[in-house]
Amino acid sequence: MATKDDSASRLDAVRSIDLSDTETRAGLLFAAPYLVIFSIFLLYPLVLGFYMSLFEWNVFMPSESEFIGLENYVRMVQDPVFWSAFRATVYFVALTVPTLVVFGLVLALGVNHNIKGKRFLRTVYFSPYVLTVSVVSLIWMELYASDYGPINYYLSYLVSNTPTWLNSFTWAMPAVAIATVWWTVGFNFIILLAARQSVPERLYEAARIDGASSWRAFRDITLPQMRPAIMFVSVVQFIWSFQVFGQVFVMTDGGPGNSTQTIIMYLYRVAFRQQDFGYAAAIGYFLFFVLVAVSLANYYFIGREENSS
Amino acid sequence: MSTRTIPLVGNRKNTGETLKMAGLYAFLYGTAFLFLLPYIWMMSTSLKTEQHVFSQVPQWIPPEITFEWYIAVLTGAPMIQWFLNTLLIAGATTVIVVVLNSMIAFSLTKLEWPGKRIVFGVIIASFMVPVFANMVPLFALISRLGLVNNPLAVILPFSAMPIGVFLLVQFFRDLPDEIIEAARLDGFSTFQIYYRIVLPLMKPAIAALSLYTFVYTWNQFLWPLIVLQQETAFTLPVGIVAMQPTQVFQPGAEMAGTLLAVLPLFIVFLILQEHLVNAVQAQGTVG
Repeated sequence: MATKDDSASRLDAVRSIDLSDTETRAGLLFAAPYLVIFSIFLLYPLVLGFYMSLFEWNVFMPSESEFIGLENYVRMVQDPVFWSAFRATVYFVALTVPTLVVFGLVLALGVNHNIKGKRFLRTVYFSPYVLTVSVVSLIWMELYASDYGPINYYLSYLVSNTPTWLNSFTWAMPAVAIATVWWTVGFNFIILLAARQSVPERLYEAARIDGASSWRAFRDITLPQMRPAIMFVSVVQFIWSFQVFGQVFVMTDGGPGNSTQTIIMYLYRVAFRQQDFGYAAAIGYFLFFVLVAVSLANYYFIGREENSS
Repeated sequence: MSTRTIPLVGNRKNTGETLKMAGLYAFLYGTAFLFLLPYIWMMSTSLKTEQHVFSQVPQWIPPEITFEWYIAVLTGAPMIQWFLNTLLIAGATTVIVVVLNSMIAFSLTKLEWPGKRIVFGVIIASFMVPVFANMVPLFALISRLGLVNNPLAVILPFSAMPIGVFLLVQFFRDLPDEIIEAARLDGFSTFQIYYRIVLPLMKPAIAALSLYTFVYTWNQFLWPLIVLQQETAFTLPVGIVAMQPTQVFQPGAEMAGTLLAVLPLFIVFLILQEHLVNAVQAQGTVG
């Protein structure tokens, strides 16, 4: 993972071409088209979002919006539905992130062995990742169907009281999490497999000569060597899981009750069903700060690690 | 360790190794089998008659095959229109992303101009902007531009995403500057260097970014759901959730629609998966 300093110093290294006016002009011309779209559709909304969050925003006549300062944020802190959505999101993150990282790692380390059919296995594990979330959700709704779905049929051999999965306060979120694991574990698997394959074999040979057990080799070579990739995958997964929407929207619509209504789901409701854009923008900004803090913490820890090693 | 004990340890180790490998095979292929079951269920449900769809005992292979759900979906919902909408959006976004990102990546790595490091820093920092946290102001902007229900409402915001710039910059950096200087001495203009030297040499990176962008845009759900509100403007991911080809809930019809929505992209994936794997791996290595 490249840090900002690293990339800046590498950009310095390519300063070999003459500085001249024509080059500056060409450089700007080549950069401009992307920068225009980037500024309009990414940077500007970011600023506009904060501005909107300070208003009782009038969707139909934005100029009639009433400035209310930080009131939307105060309202958010006092809103029990918001906190319930926050808890549901954290619960989903807790269910999915560790599972996806560990499971992805286990599959990657397994496939890294000298086994037959690597390509087939990789295709199978990775394939759900190319499905759209609505497809994943619709398929799993069929699998979870409590009266005719296959999961409960086989489960009924093991337990007498099969859960109603997506209609159950207890099981709806784990059910969504399981479908999510099937959907996205392939992404982590691919990245972690590449990271494992780039660990120099000579490290393991040296360990073997020293008579180290495979557990020691795993703990002292594999894990530390793969650490940046594991960190990357964890952070990316955290950011994705924190923004979960499609699965809950299609599979449970936030129910039963509000038990699976996550933050993005709530934001969607507030904005597009209740037309309360100002409040929704405030929730979006809160989300923005949470995720930026996580990213920054990650850069900070990885930067510190690179300095210390 | 004395030489005499080596064969014994070796043998015991071999039996242990064999057992371990057997366990590994069982685990990896067992997982693969479980991973395939949802696909099989989707396929078989889409081909079952109504009575078998709701059967108590799961039937993985339909006892009798019917295509009624496919006919219902294709005649009852504008699947073809949704397919074309999705294709247009994913295709146009991919073209724009590849052209604009390769241009700016070329500019950032091979041309020198004042302020470019700041520009690159801002693009990297914008990585942290969660796409969905930005959606309310983005919607306000899109509706003010009058683009609701217009494919551009999806194409433009997804063309602004910074990930492609970042990926291509990583690859373009590795291109030796000597090649570019040599071309310049041969009288190539900057545009010719970009078009006739950088692009052809960077084909693998561009292929990876293209496929990644195409799949990513094709699969978007939340944003198209917000900005494409008319049934005729839907993309496939939105359409298959909203569609009601029959008056009653019919799993067969849903699974037929799902399968039709999945099929085009899945075939592309099976043929070109190396490029997609490359794109994902590149994300992991560059972070």
